[in-house]
Amino acid sequence: MKRSAKTSHMAAASNRRSRKRKINDVGPPSRFYGTALPGVKEEELSGHLVVIEGSDGSGRSTQISLLTEWLESEGFAVQTMGLRRSFLVGEDIDALLAENAVTRITLALMYGTDFFDQLERRILPALRSGLIVLADRYIFTLIARAAVRGIGRDYLHGIYETALRPDLTFWLNVRPEIAFDREFKKSQTISYWESGRDMSLSNDLFQSFIRYQSMIKREFEYLSKRHGFIELDGEGSVADVNGLLRKRIAAQLGIRSTQYRPSHALSHLWR
Amino acid sequence: MASVAQNISALTESAPAKAPLPRRQYPGALIVVEGTDGSGKSTQLYLLKRWLEINGYRIHFTEWNSSPLVKSATRRGKQRRLLTPTTFSLLHAADFADRCERQIVPLLHGGYLVLADRYIYTAFARDAARGCSPHWLRNLYSFAPIPDITFYFRAPLEVAVNRIVAGRPKLKYYEAGMDMGISLDRAESFRIFQERILDNYDHMVETDRFVLMDGTIQVNKLQKLMRQMLRERVDLAQFAPKKK
Repeated sequence: MKRSAKTSHMAAASNRRSRKRKINDVGPPSRFYGTALPGVKEEELSGHLVVIEGSDGSGRSTQISLLTEWLESEGFAVQTMGLRRSFLVGEDIDALLAENAVTRITLALMYGTDFFDQLERRILPALRSGLIVLADRYIFTLIARAAVRGIGRDYLHGIYETALRPDLTFWLNVRPEIAFDREFKKSQTISYWESGRDMSLSNDLFQSFIRYQSMIKREFEYLSKRHGFIELDGEGSVADVNGLLRKRIAAQLGIRSTQYRPSHALSHLWR
Repeated sequence: MASVAQNISALTESAPAKAPLPRRQYPGALIVVEGTDGSGKSTQLYLLKRWLEINGYRIHFTEWNSSPLVKSATRRGKQRRLLTPTTFSLLHAADFADRCERQIVPLLHGGYLVLADRYIYTAFARDAARGCSPHWLRNLYSFAPIPDITFYFRAPLEVAVNRIVAGRPKLKYYEAGMDMGISLDRAESFRIFQERILDNYDHMVETDRFVLMDGTIQVNKLQKLMRQMLRERVDLAQFAPKKK
């Protein structure tokens, strides 16, 4: 018998209540945190959603490039998503960030719009077609950034309760000092928003970056427990981190061999 | 700080939406008009505003969907019909948040009488009619200050629909609720959409303490009533021009 998404959610919720079970610590009862998005049938989503979270300088993008190549070589089609990549408002957010005139709830809701536009118009269709979606950041970064700016966590979780629960969420954890070094080496500067300069933490850019990233890290420690992240040492070598990622993803997708060497095009990433 | 257990339950269970920011007291007052298109609310608020302006009160007038911040995105989304019920709702919430954080809240703290043509109840009525969960919507807008008075202008469905259809050459796609695929006929789709919205508004009369205004009453008589109610419920003296 087919149950509607709503009734199965309600049944799952009452189960959770009675057993006092944390969400995410055992196999997810539903692919949505709360009510499913209007018009979405869970059973149609045959693909997998894998999320990579971590601060700037944690190696997310590098790992996603390598994982995409590995998965494609294994015969899996890959779709990616990330912040500010929606057609609807991606560029508008860029413009808002450049102006610095935007206030915190507005920015949080613009990011929410950006997220759901990608989810509904790109990610869900991809998952219906059985693709592997690699997300370069997900709702957790959005929640953490808004929470350190004083917006209620319950409020933020409420906004994203219709989001899709990832099959795997990896957190590439790096110390703020290491992230600073890596970012500075890469772009010779530190971004306004990544150092939380809107929060008046310190006039010193380095101090501001460290304090802001430490606050974000604390939010992630809390989110990691709440949502069952797989925490990886982001300070390890690219090859080591990639090996750990492949192992978990291979288990999820039923891939037997986790052997991989990057192609010539990506060999520069394999340091 | 909330315990971890409380926080865990919040994502999956329908806990009552808490304010995302702590509520503060302010010396201003917030007056809102709500109602379906064609209910006469904008005309009435305009007349109220003129009366207050002419008499020199400290007022600010704000409209739904007027912020330049998200205008380009709204236009892009509507023109290309990219908006889903969720993104439609979030985009309007972002727009409202901008107005709220940069105008409404600071003005309330500065002791202004703020007049709003449509407020969060528009989103509750309209977005729920589109299929968004009412619980999700209530949480989404929980940062908004609660109005001192919400005038709800109610006109029978046919009266309101005829006022709009007669005055416009063509109903717009989202305005007519065409995105929901209720009917291929725009006028018919609009009518059904408005009926759902009207129904949602009616349910809020009690829960959100709306002041019911009969939109079929003569304009000047209704305005007299509105001014009288405002005087009864809000101490207008505090917004009066300061005497030297």
